[in-house]
Amino acid sequence: MDTGFAAVAIFFAAIFTNNILLTNYLGMCSFLSVSREIKTSLGLGAAVIFVMASTSFLNYIVYHFVLIPLGLEALRFIVFIIVIAAFVQLVEMVIERVSETLYAALGIFLPLITVNCAILGVSLFMVIREYGMLQSFMYGLGSGIGWFLAIMAMAGIRQRLKKAQVPKGLEGAGITLVITGMMALAFMGFSGMISV
Amino acid sequence: MKLLKQPVIMKQAPMNAVLYALLPLVAASVYFFGWRALAVLGVVNAVGFLSEYIFARVYGKKVSMAVFVTNFLFALSLPPTIPLWIAGVGIAFGIVFGKMVFGGFSKNIFNPAISGRAFIYASFGYHLSSRFVQPAQGLLGGLGRWSPGLDSLTAATPLIQLKEGVDISFLELLLGNVSGSMGETSALLIIITGVWLMFRKTASHHIVLPGLAGFLVFQSLFWLTGIDGVPAPHYALVSGSVLFGMMYMATDPVTAAQTTNIGRWIYGAFIGILTSLIRTFSIWPEGITFAILTANMFAPLLNYIITEIKKSRRSRKGADA
Repeated sequence: MDTGFAAVAIFFAAIFTNNILLTNYLGMCSFLSVSREIKTSLGLGAAVIFVMASTSFLNYIVYHFVLIPLGLEALRFIVFIIVIAAFVQLVEMVIERVSETLYAALGIFLPLITVNCAILGVSLFMVIREYGMLQSFMYGLGSGIGWFLAIMAMAGIRQRLKKAQVPKGLEGAGITLVITGMMALAFMGFSGMISV
Repeated sequence: MKLLKQPVIMKQAPMNAVLYALLPLVAASVYFFGWRALAVLGVVNAVGFLSEYIFARVYGKKVSMAVFVTNFLFALSLPPTIPLWIAGVGIAFGIVFGKMVFGGFSKNIFNPAISGRAFIYASFGYHLSSRFVQPAQGLLGGLGRWSPGLDSLTAATPLIQLKEGVDISFLELLLGNVSGSMGETSALLIIITGVWLMFRKTASHHIVLPGLAGFLVFQSLFWLTGIDGVPAPHYALVSGSVLFGMMYMATDPVTAAQTTNIGRWIYGAFIGILTSLIRTFSIWPEGITFAILTANMFAPLLNYIITEIKKSRRSRKGADA
Protein backbone atom coordinates (compact mmCIF):
# COMPACT_ATOMS: atom_id res chain seq x y z
CA MET A 1 0.00 0.00 0.00
CA ASP A 2 1.11 3.50 -0.81
CA THR A 3 2.30 5.26 2.37
CA GLY A 4 0.14 8.33 1.82
CA PHE A 5 -2.96 6.23 1.37
CA ALA A 6 -1.99 4.06 4.33
CA ALA A 7 -1.66 7.20 6.47
CA VAL A 8 -5.19 8.28 5.56
CA ALA A 9 -6.53 4.78 6.30
CA ILE A 10 -4.75 4.84 9.66
CA PHE A 11 -6.24 8.24 10.39
CA PHE A 12 -9.83 7.00 9.95
CA ALA A 13 -9.14 3.68 11.62
CA ALA A 14 -7.82 5.52 14.68
CA ILE A 15 -11.05 7.52 14.89
CA PHE A 16 -13.60 4.76 14.32
CA THR A 17 -12.51 1.14 14.17
CA ASN A 18 -9.71 1.43 16.72
CA ASN A 19 -10.92 4.33 18.82
CA ILE A 20 -8.31 4.67 21.54
CA LEU A 21 -10.94 5.15 24.23
CA LEU A 22 -13.78 2.91 23.11
CA THR A 23 -11.77 -0.07 21.91
CA ASN A 24 -8.55 0.17 23.93
CA TYR A 25 -10.06 1.78 27.02
CA LEU A 26 -7.14 4.17 27.35
CA GLY A 27 -7.44 7.67 28.77
CA MET A 28 -10.38 6.80 30.99
CA CYS A 29 -9.43 8.86 34.06
CA SER A 30 -9.76 12.30 32.55
CA PHE A 31 -12.64 11.08 30.39
CA LEU A 32 -14.62 10.14 33.49
CA SER A 33 -13.90 13.27 35.45
CA VAL A 34 -14.02 16.01 32.81
CA SER A 35 -17.01 14.83 30.76
CA ARG A 36 -19.36 16.42 33.30
CA GLU A 37 -19.51 19.71 31.37
CA ILE A 38 -19.67 20.20 27.61
CA LYS A 39 -17.53 23.36 27.61
CA THR A 40 -14.63 21.89 29.56
CA SER A 41 -14.84 18.71 27.50
CA LEU A 42 -14.48 20.78 24.38
CA GLY A 43 -11.37 22.47 25.80
CA LEU A 44 -9.74 19.30 27.05
CA GLY A 45 -10.69 17.40 23.89
CA ALA A 46 -9.06 20.04 21.71
CA ALA A 47 -5.97 20.03 23.92
CA VAL A 48 -5.75 16.24 23.68
CA ILE A 49 -6.00 16.33 19.87
CA PHE A 50 -3.19 18.85 19.74
CA VAL A 51 -0.95 17.13 22.27
CA MET A 52 -1.51 13.65 20.82
CA ALA A 53 -0.72 14.68 17.26
CA SER A 54 2.36 16.66 18.31
CA THR A 55 3.80 14.15 20.74
CA SER A 56 3.38 11.18 18.42
CA PHE A 57 5.34 13.13 15.85
CA LEU A 58 7.99 14.30 18.35
CA ASN A 59 8.32 10.84 19.83
CA TYR A 60 8.76 9.39 16.38
CA ILE A 61 11.69 11.71 15.79
CA VAL A 62 13.18 11.06 19.21
CA TYR A 63 12.78 7.30 18.84
CA HIS A 64 14.14 6.96 15.34
CA PHE A 65 16.87 9.61 15.37
CA VAL A 66 18.07 9.45 18.96
CA LEU A 67 17.11 6.21 20.70
CA ILE A 68 17.72 3.74 17.86
CA PRO A 69 21.14 5.13 16.79
CA LEU A 70 22.22 5.03 20.44
CA GLY A 71 20.75 1.57 20.96
CA LEU A 72 18.63 2.76 23.84
CA GLU A 73 15.21 1.43 22.73
CA ALA A 74 14.65 -0.01 26.20
CA LEU A 75 14.50 3.51 27.60
CA ARG A 76 11.59 4.50 25.39
CA PHE A 77 9.00 4.45 28.19
CA ILE A 78 10.87 7.00 30.26
CA VAL A 79 11.94 9.10 27.31
CA PHE A 80 8.44 9.25 25.84
CA ILE A 81 7.01 10.37 29.17
CA ILE A 82 9.66 13.08 29.48
CA VAL A 83 8.91 14.36 25.98
CA ILE A 84 5.19 14.39 26.66
CA ALA A 85 5.61 16.13 30.02
CA ALA A 86 7.85 18.82 28.57
CA PHE A 87 5.46 19.40 25.71
CA VAL A 88 2.41 19.63 27.98
CA GLN A 89 4.28 22.13 30.15
CA LEU A 90 4.79 24.23 27.06
CA VAL A 91 1.13 24.00 26.03
CA GLU A 92 0.09 24.96 29.53
CA MET A 93 2.18 28.11 29.41
CA VAL A 94 0.71 29.04 26.04
CA ILE A 95 -2.88 28.47 27.12
CA GLU A 96 -2.34 30.51 30.27
CA ARG A 97 -1.20 33.40 28.10
CA VAL A 98 -3.85 33.07 25.41
CA SER A 99 -7.01 32.15 27.25
CA GLU A 100 -7.33 32.74 30.98
CA THR A 101 -10.86 31.25 31.04
CA LEU A 102 -9.89 28.01 29.35
CA TYR A 103 -6.89 27.77 31.67
CA ALA A 104 -9.13 28.18 34.70
CA ALA A 105 -11.72 25.77 33.33
CA LEU A 106 -9.21 23.04 32.61
CA GLY A 107 -7.51 23.60 35.96
CA ILE A 108 -5.78 20.50 37.23
CA PHE A 109 -6.70 18.45 34.15
CA LEU A 110 -4.27 20.17 31.87
CA PRO A 111 -1.16 19.00 33.74
CA LEU A 112 -2.94 15.66 34.03
CA ILE A 113 -2.73 15.25 30.25
CA THR A 114 0.86 14.28 30.98
CA VAL A 115 -0.30 11.12 32.65
CA ASN A 116 -3.22 10.54 30.27
CA CYS A 117 -2.42 6.97 29.35
CA ALA A 118 -3.95 7.40 25.89
CA ILE A 119 -1.15 9.79 24.94
CA LEU A 120 1.64 7.48 26.02
CA GLY A 121 -0.35 4.64 24.48
CA VAL A 122 -0.38 6.33 21.09
CA SER A 123 3.38 6.73 21.14
CA LEU A 124 3.90 3.11 22.14
CA PHE A 125 1.48 1.75 19.54
CA MET A 126 3.35 3.79 16.98
CA VAL A 127 6.54 1.91 17.83
CA ILE A 128 4.89 -1.54 18.04
CA ARG A 129 3.10 -1.13 14.72
CA GLU A 130 6.21 0.30 13.05
CA TYR A 131 4.57 3.38 11.57
CA GLY A 132 6.45 5.82 9.40
CA MET A 133 6.72 9.53 10.22
CA LEU A 134 3.57 10.64 8.39
CA GLN A 135 1.66 7.62 9.59
CA SER A 136 2.63 8.32 13.21
CA PHE A 137 1.44 11.87 12.94
CA MET A 138 -1.86 10.83 11.33
CA TYR A 139 -2.32 8.10 13.91
CA GLY A 140 -1.83 10.61 16.73
CA LEU A 141 -4.18 13.09 15.10
CA GLY A 142 -6.84 10.44 14.44
CA SER A 143 -6.63 9.05 17.96
CA GLY A 144 -6.97 12.54 19.35
CA ILE A 145 -10.06 13.20 17.25
CA GLY A 146 -11.48 9.83 18.27
CA TRP A 147 -10.95 10.67 21.92
CA PHE A 148 -12.48 14.09 21.35
CA LEU A 149 -15.61 12.59 19.75
CA ALA A 150 -16.03 10.13 22.60
CA ILE A 151 -15.71 12.75 25.32
CA MET A 152 -18.05 15.16 23.53
CA ALA A 153 -20.72 12.46 23.10
CA MET A 154 -20.33 11.55 26.75
CA ALA A 155 -20.57 15.19 27.84
CA GLY A 156 -23.79 15.56 25.83
CA ILE A 157 -25.23 12.45 27.42
CA ARG A 158 -24.29 13.55 30.92
CA GLN A 159 -25.84 16.93 30.29
CA ARG A 160 -29.09 15.13 29.57
CA LEU A 161 -28.62 12.79 32.51
CA LYS A 162 -28.96 15.71 34.90
CA LYS A 163 -32.71 15.32 34.41
CA ALA A 164 -32.61 11.55 34.78
CA GLN A 165 -33.09 9.71 38.04
CA VAL A 166 -30.05 7.52 38.28
CA PRO A 167 -30.07 5.31 41.39
CA LYS A 168 -27.89 6.69 44.19
CA GLY A 169 -25.33 3.92 44.07
CA LEU A 170 -24.71 4.39 40.36
CA GLU A 171 -24.32 8.14 40.29
CA GLY A 172 -21.11 9.62 38.90
CA ALA A 173 -18.47 7.17 37.78
CA GLY A 174 -20.80 4.16 37.90
CA ILE A 175 -23.33 5.32 35.36
CA THR A 176 -20.57 6.87 33.26
CA LEU A 177 -18.86 3.50 32.98
CA VAL A 178 -22.16 1.84 32.05
CA ILE A 179 -22.65 4.41 29.29
CA THR A 180 -19.06 3.98 28.13
CA GLY A 181 -19.74 0.28 27.78
CA MET A 182 -22.78 0.99 25.62
CA MET A 183 -20.75 3.41 23.52
CA ALA A 184 -18.09 0.77 23.02
CA LEU A 185 -20.83 -1.64 21.95
CA ALA A 186 -22.05 0.89 19.41
CA PHE A 187 -18.54 1.39 18.07
CA MET A 188 -18.18 -2.37 17.57
CA GLY A 189 -20.30 -1.78 14.49
CA PHE A 190 -17.28 -0.19 12.81
CA SER A 191 -15.10 -3.25 13.27
CA GLY A 192 -13.55 -4.62 10.14
CA MET A 193 -14.07 -1.47 8.10
CA ILE A 194 -10.43 -0.38 8.09
CA SER A 195 -7.52 -1.89 9.95
CA VAL A 196 -4.61 -0.07 11.54
CA MET B 1 -53.87 -8.03 48.53
CA LYS B 2 -54.25 -4.31 48.30
CA LEU B 3 -51.11 -4.23 46.20
CA LEU B 4 -52.67 -6.27 43.43
CA LYS B 5 -55.60 -3.92 43.01
CA GLN B 6 -53.43 -0.93 42.23
CA PRO B 7 -52.79 -0.54 38.52
CA VAL B 8 -49.30 -1.78 37.77
CA ILE B 9 -49.10 -0.48 34.24
CA MET B 10 -48.97 3.14 33.16
CA LYS B 11 -51.23 3.76 30.16
CA GLN B 12 -49.59 5.36 27.13
CA ALA B 13 -51.76 5.79 24.04
CA PRO B 14 -48.96 6.17 21.43
CA MET B 15 -47.43 2.94 22.66
CA ASN B 16 -50.71 1.13 22.03
CA ALA B 17 -50.67 2.39 18.46
CA VAL B 18 -47.21 0.91 17.93
CA LEU B 19 -48.39 -2.38 19.40
CA TYR B 20 -51.37 -2.49 17.03
CA ALA B 21 -49.05 -1.74 14.13
CA LEU B 22 -46.82 -4.63 15.20
CA LEU B 23 -49.63 -7.21 15.28
CA PRO B 24 -49.54 -7.86 11.51
CA LEU B 25 -45.80 -8.45 11.80
CA VAL B 26 -46.40 -10.93 14.62
CA ALA B 27 -48.96 -12.72 12.46
CA ALA B 28 -46.50 -12.77 9.57
CA SER B 29 -43.76 -14.24 11.74
CA VAL B 30 -46.09 -17.04 12.84
CA TYR B 31 -47.15 -17.62 9.24
CA PHE B 32 -43.57 -17.82 8.00
CA PHE B 33 -41.79 -19.44 10.91
CA GLY B 34 -44.36 -21.39 12.95
CA TRP B 35 -45.89 -21.05 16.39
CA ARG B 36 -42.52 -21.01 18.11
CA ALA B 37 -42.46 -17.30 17.31
CA LEU B 38 -45.18 -16.83 19.91
CA ALA B 39 -43.13 -18.73 22.47
CA VAL B 40 -40.20 -16.37 21.89
CA LEU B 41 -42.55 -13.41 22.25
CA GLY B 42 -43.96 -14.88 25.44
CA VAL B 43 -40.58 -15.44 27.07
CA VAL B 44 -39.32 -12.02 26.04
CA ASN B 45 -42.44 -10.31 27.32
CA ALA B 46 -42.33 -12.15 30.64
CA VAL B 47 -38.64 -11.46 31.27
CA GLY B 48 -38.86 -7.88 30.04
CA PHE B 49 -41.89 -7.11 32.16
CA LEU B 50 -40.32 -8.69 35.23
CA SER B 51 -37.05 -6.76 34.78
CA GLU B 52 -38.91 -3.48 34.58
CA TYR B 53 -41.33 -4.39 37.39
CA ILE B 54 -38.53 -5.10 39.88
CA PHE B 55 -36.91 -1.73 39.24
CA ALA B 56 -40.23 0.12 39.09
CA ARG B 57 -41.12 -1.26 42.53
CA VAL B 58 -37.90 0.14 43.99
CA TYR B 59 -38.37 3.50 42.27
CA GLY B 60 -42.02 3.63 43.34
CA LYS B 61 -43.20 3.98 39.75
CA LYS B 62 -45.55 2.08 37.48
CA VAL B 63 -44.39 -0.16 34.70
CA SER B 64 -44.59 1.78 31.43
CA MET B 65 -46.56 0.51 28.47
CA ALA B 66 -43.39 1.15 26.51
CA VAL B 67 -41.81 -1.98 27.91
CA PHE B 68 -44.17 -4.12 25.79
CA VAL B 69 -43.23 -2.19 22.67
CA THR B 70 -39.58 -2.83 23.53
CA ASN B 71 -40.34 -6.51 24.09
CA PHE B 72 -42.16 -6.91 20.80
CA LEU B 73 -39.54 -5.03 18.78
CA PHE B 74 -36.75 -7.00 20.40
CA ALA B 75 -38.43 -10.38 19.86
CA LEU B 76 -39.29 -9.63 16.24
CA SER B 77 -35.67 -8.70 15.52
CA LEU B 78 -34.39 -12.17 16.49
CA PRO B 79 -33.76 -15.15 14.20
CA PRO B 80 -36.57 -17.73 14.40
CA THR B 81 -34.34 -20.44 15.89
CA ILE B 82 -33.06 -18.26 18.73
CA PRO B 83 -32.67 -20.28 21.97
CA LEU B 84 -35.23 -18.95 24.44
CA TRP B 85 -32.65 -18.30 27.14
CA ILE B 86 -30.61 -16.03 24.85
CA ALA B 87 -33.75 -14.07 24.08
CA GLY B 88 -34.33 -13.74 27.83
CA VAL B 89 -30.77 -12.60 28.53
CA GLY B 90 -30.95 -10.04 25.75
CA ILE B 91 -34.17 -8.41 26.86
CA ALA B 92 -33.09 -8.39 30.51
CA PHE B 93 -29.88 -6.59 29.52
CA GLY B 94 -31.78 -4.18 27.29
CA ILE B 95 -34.35 -3.24 29.91
CA VAL B 96 -31.97 -3.03 32.87
CA PHE B 97 -28.88 -1.46 31.30
CA GLY B 98 -30.61 0.29 28.43
CA LYS B 99 -33.37 1.86 30.44
CA MET B 100 -33.80 1.22 34.14
CA VAL B 101 -30.34 2.31 35.30
CA PHE B 102 -31.16 5.75 33.91
CA GLY B 103 -34.33 5.96 35.97
CA GLY B 104 -36.85 4.29 33.70
CA PHE B 105 -39.04 5.36 30.81
CA SER B 106 -38.19 8.66 29.07
CA LYS B 107 -34.85 8.96 30.88
CA ASN B 108 -32.94 6.45 28.80
CA ILE B 109 -30.18 7.41 26.38
CA PHE B 110 -30.07 4.24 24.31
CA ASN B 111 -33.02 2.42 22.78
CA PRO B 112 -33.49 -0.59 25.10
CA ALA B 113 -34.54 -3.01 22.34
CA ILE B 114 -31.49 -2.08 20.28
CA SER B 115 -29.16 -2.26 23.31
CA GLY B 116 -30.34 -5.78 24.10
CA ARG B 117 -30.09 -6.81 20.48
CA ALA B 118 -26.57 -5.40 20.06
CA PHE B 119 -25.50 -7.06 23.30
CA ILE B 120 -26.49 -10.56 22.23
CA TYR B 121 -25.36 -9.89 18.66
CA ALA B 122 -21.86 -9.25 19.98
CA SER B 123 -21.97 -12.01 22.61
CA PHE B 124 -23.68 -14.93 20.87
CA GLY B 125 -22.70 -14.32 17.28
CA TYR B 126 -23.29 -17.90 16.18
CA HIS B 127 -26.90 -18.03 17.35
CA LEU B 128 -27.67 -14.58 16.03
CA SER B 129 -26.10 -14.84 12.62
CA SER B 130 -25.67 -18.46 11.54
CA ARG B 131 -28.97 -20.09 12.40
CA PHE B 132 -31.46 -18.64 9.96
CA VAL B 133 -33.96 -20.92 8.23
CA GLN B 134 -36.16 -20.84 5.18
CA PRO B 135 -39.78 -19.93 5.94
CA ALA B 136 -42.35 -22.73 5.92
CA GLN B 137 -43.75 -23.42 2.48
CA GLY B 138 -47.28 -24.15 1.32
CA LEU B 139 -50.55 -22.31 1.63
CA LEU B 140 -50.86 -22.90 5.37
CA GLY B 141 -47.28 -21.78 5.88
CA GLY B 142 -46.12 -22.08 9.45
CA LEU B 143 -49.66 -22.30 10.81
CA GLY B 144 -49.46 -26.07 10.89
CA ARG B 145 -46.11 -26.38 12.60
CA TRP B 146 -44.33 -25.52 15.79
CA SER B 147 -40.93 -24.48 14.47
CA PRO B 148 -39.29 -24.15 11.09
CA GLY B 149 -37.44 -27.19 9.83
CA LEU B 150 -33.90 -27.16 11.13
CA ASP B 151 -32.66 -29.04 8.07
CA SER B 152 -32.49 -25.78 6.15
CA LEU B 153 -30.28 -24.14 8.76
CA THR B 154 -28.06 -21.55 7.09
CA ALA B 155 -26.19 -18.34 7.65
CA ALA B 156 -27.16 -17.10 4.22
CA THR B 157 -29.93 -14.57 4.61
CA PRO B 158 -30.87 -12.59 1.49
CA LEU B 159 -28.33 -9.96 2.64
CA ILE B 160 -25.48 -12.42 2.33
CA GLN B 161 -26.86 -14.08 -0.80
CA LEU B 162 -27.12 -10.71 -2.51
CA LYS B 163 -23.56 -10.00 -1.49
CA GLU B 164 -22.50 -13.23 -3.17
CA GLY B 165 -24.46 -12.39 -6.30
CA VAL B 166 -27.23 -14.99 -5.92
CA ASP B 167 -30.42 -14.07 -7.77
CA ILE B 168 -33.41 -13.56 -5.50
CA SER B 169 -36.85 -12.59 -6.67
CA PHE B 170 -37.73 -9.01 -5.75
CA LEU B 171 -41.33 -10.03 -5.12
CA GLU B 172 -40.34 -12.68 -2.58
CA LEU B 173 -38.19 -10.13 -0.76
CA LEU B 174 -41.05 -7.66 -0.72
CA LEU B 175 -43.56 -10.20 0.57
CA GLY B 176 -41.13 -11.67 3.05
CA ASN B 177 -41.00 -15.27 1.88
CA VAL B 178 -37.27 -15.40 2.63
CA SER B 179 -35.03 -16.33 5.53
CA GLY B 180 -34.27 -13.68 8.09
CA SER B 181 -35.24 -12.39 11.53
CA MET B 182 -38.80 -13.16 12.54
CA GLY B 183 -40.49 -9.82 12.03
CA GLU B 184 -38.34 -8.14 9.43
CA THR B 185 -38.72 -10.34 6.37
CA SER B 186 -41.91 -8.84 4.99
CA ALA B 187 -40.96 -5.43 3.64
CA LEU B 188 -44.49 -4.79 2.41
CA LEU B 189 -46.13 -5.21 5.82
CA ILE B 190 -43.49 -3.01 7.45
CA ILE B 191 -44.03 -0.28 4.88
CA ILE B 192 -47.83 -0.39 5.30
CA THR B 193 -47.78 -0.35 9.10
CA GLY B 194 -44.96 2.18 9.14
CA VAL B 195 -46.84 4.57 6.88
CA TRP B 196 -49.89 4.19 9.11
CA LEU B 197 -47.74 5.11 12.14
CA MET B 198 -46.26 8.11 10.34
CA PHE B 199 -49.73 9.17 9.24
CA ARG B 200 -50.85 9.05 12.86
CA LYS B 201 -47.73 11.04 13.79
CA THR B 202 -46.69 8.30 16.21
CA ALA B 203 -43.52 7.83 14.19
CA SER B 204 -41.88 10.97 12.87
CA HIS B 205 -41.50 11.06 9.10
CA HIS B 206 -38.82 13.70 9.70
CA ILE B 207 -36.61 10.82 10.82
CA VAL B 208 -37.77 8.00 8.54
CA LEU B 209 -37.69 9.77 5.17
CA PRO B 210 -34.21 11.35 5.45
CA GLY B 211 -33.01 8.06 6.88
CA LEU B 212 -34.23 6.00 3.94
CA ALA B 213 -33.07 8.69 1.52
CA GLY B 214 -29.57 8.72 3.03
CA PHE B 215 -29.46 4.94 2.91
CA LEU B 216 -30.59 4.80 -0.73
CA VAL B 217 -28.24 7.55 -1.87
CA PHE B 218 -25.19 5.89 -0.35
CA GLN B 219 -26.27 2.44 -1.45
CA SER B 220 -26.70 3.71 -5.03
CA LEU B 221 -23.34 5.42 -4.81
CA PHE B 222 -21.59 2.20 -3.80
CA TRP B 223 -23.56 0.27 -6.39
CA LEU B 224 -22.70 2.64 -9.21
CA THR B 225 -19.01 2.71 -8.31
CA GLY B 226 -19.11 -1.07 -8.61
CA ILE B 227 -17.88 -2.08 -5.18
CA ASP B 228 -17.92 -5.87 -4.86
CA GLY B 229 -21.09 -7.37 -3.46
CA VAL B 230 -23.23 -4.25 -3.31
CA PRO B 231 -26.77 -5.08 -4.51
CA ALA B 232 -29.00 -2.70 -6.45
CA PRO B 233 -30.48 -0.09 -4.11
CA HIS B 234 -34.08 -1.31 -4.31
CA TYR B 235 -32.92 -4.81 -3.39
CA ALA B 236 -30.86 -3.43 -0.54
CA LEU B 237 -33.89 -1.60 0.81
CA VAL B 238 -36.17 -4.62 1.07
CA SER B 239 -33.58 -7.10 2.36
CA GLY B 240 -32.28 -7.13 5.91
CA SER B 241 -33.86 -5.04 8.61
CA VAL B 242 -33.22 -1.49 7.49
CA LEU B 243 -36.93 -0.77 6.99
CA PHE B 244 -37.92 -2.35 10.29
CA GLY B 245 -35.23 -0.47 12.20
CA MET B 246 -35.96 2.83 10.51
CA MET B 247 -39.72 2.73 11.00
CA TYR B 248 -39.87 1.32 14.49
CA MET B 249 -36.57 1.80 16.28
CA ALA B 250 -35.00 4.96 14.93
CA THR B 251 -38.27 6.81 15.54
CA ASP B 252 -38.31 6.07 19.27
CA PRO B 253 -39.02 9.61 20.50
CA VAL B 254 -37.08 9.20 23.74
CA THR B 255 -33.70 8.34 22.26
CA ALA B 256 -33.89 10.26 18.97
CA ALA B 257 -32.76 13.82 18.48
CA GLN B 258 -35.90 15.56 19.60
CA THR B 259 -35.56 19.30 19.68
CA THR B 260 -36.16 20.38 16.10
CA ASN B 261 -37.00 18.93 12.73
CA ILE B 262 -33.51 19.81 11.52
CA GLY B 263 -32.15 17.69 14.35
CA ARG B 264 -34.45 14.83 13.30
CA TRP B 265 -33.31 15.09 9.68
CA ILE B 266 -29.65 14.96 10.64
CA TYR B 267 -30.32 12.10 13.04
CA GLY B 268 -32.28 10.07 10.48
CA ALA B 269 -29.87 10.65 7.63
CA PHE B 270 -26.95 9.75 9.91
CA ILE B 271 -28.54 6.37 10.68
CA GLY B 272 -29.27 5.66 7.02
CA ILE B 273 -25.79 6.53 5.82
CA LEU B 274 -24.07 4.67 8.64
CA THR B 275 -26.18 1.57 7.98
CA SER B 276 -25.09 1.59 4.37
CA LEU B 277 -21.43 2.06 5.36
CA ILE B 278 -21.49 -0.75 7.92
CA ARG B 279 -23.27 -3.10 5.53
CA THR B 280 -20.79 -2.47 2.78
CA PHE B 281 -17.47 -2.29 4.61
CA SER B 282 -17.58 -3.89 8.05
CA ILE B 283 -17.58 -7.52 9.17
CA TRP B 284 -21.29 -7.38 10.03
CA PRO B 285 -23.86 -8.23 7.37
CA GLU B 286 -26.45 -5.78 8.74
CA GLY B 287 -25.65 -2.35 10.15
CA ILE B 288 -28.89 -0.83 11.36
CA THR B 289 -28.47 -2.07 14.95
CA PHE B 290 -25.10 -0.42 15.42
CA ALA B 291 -26.09 2.61 13.39
CA ILE B 292 -29.03 3.37 15.68
CA LEU B 293 -26.93 2.76 18.78
CA THR B 294 -24.24 5.14 17.50
CA ALA B 295 -26.86 7.73 16.60
CA ASN B 296 -28.40 7.40 20.08
CA MET B 297 -24.97 8.10 21.52
CA PHE B 298 -24.57 11.38 19.63
CA ALA B 299 -28.21 12.51 19.85
CA PRO B 300 -27.91 14.45 23.15
CA LEU B 301 -24.88 16.33 21.83
CA LEU B 302 -26.75 17.11 18.61
CA ASN B 303 -29.69 18.43 20.62
CA TYR B 304 -27.37 20.59 22.68
CA ILE B 305 -25.59 22.06 19.64
CA ILE B 306 -28.89 22.87 17.91
CA THR B 307 -30.34 24.59 20.96
CA GLU B 308 -27.13 26.60 21.42
CA ILE B 309 -27.23 27.75 17.78
CA LYS B 310 -30.88 28.72 18.17
CA LYS B 311 -30.10 30.63 21.35
CA SER B 312 -27.26 32.58 19.81
CA ARG B 313 -29.41 33.42 16.77
CA ARG B 314 -32.23 34.65 18.95
CA SER B 315 -29.92 36.81 21.03
CA ARG B 316 -28.42 38.27 17.86
CA LYS B 317 -31.90 39.08 16.55
CA GLY B 318 -32.72 40.63 19.91
CA ALA B 319 -29.62 42.80 19.66
CA ASP B 320 -30.63 44.00 16.19
CA ALA B 321 -34.12 45.01 17.23
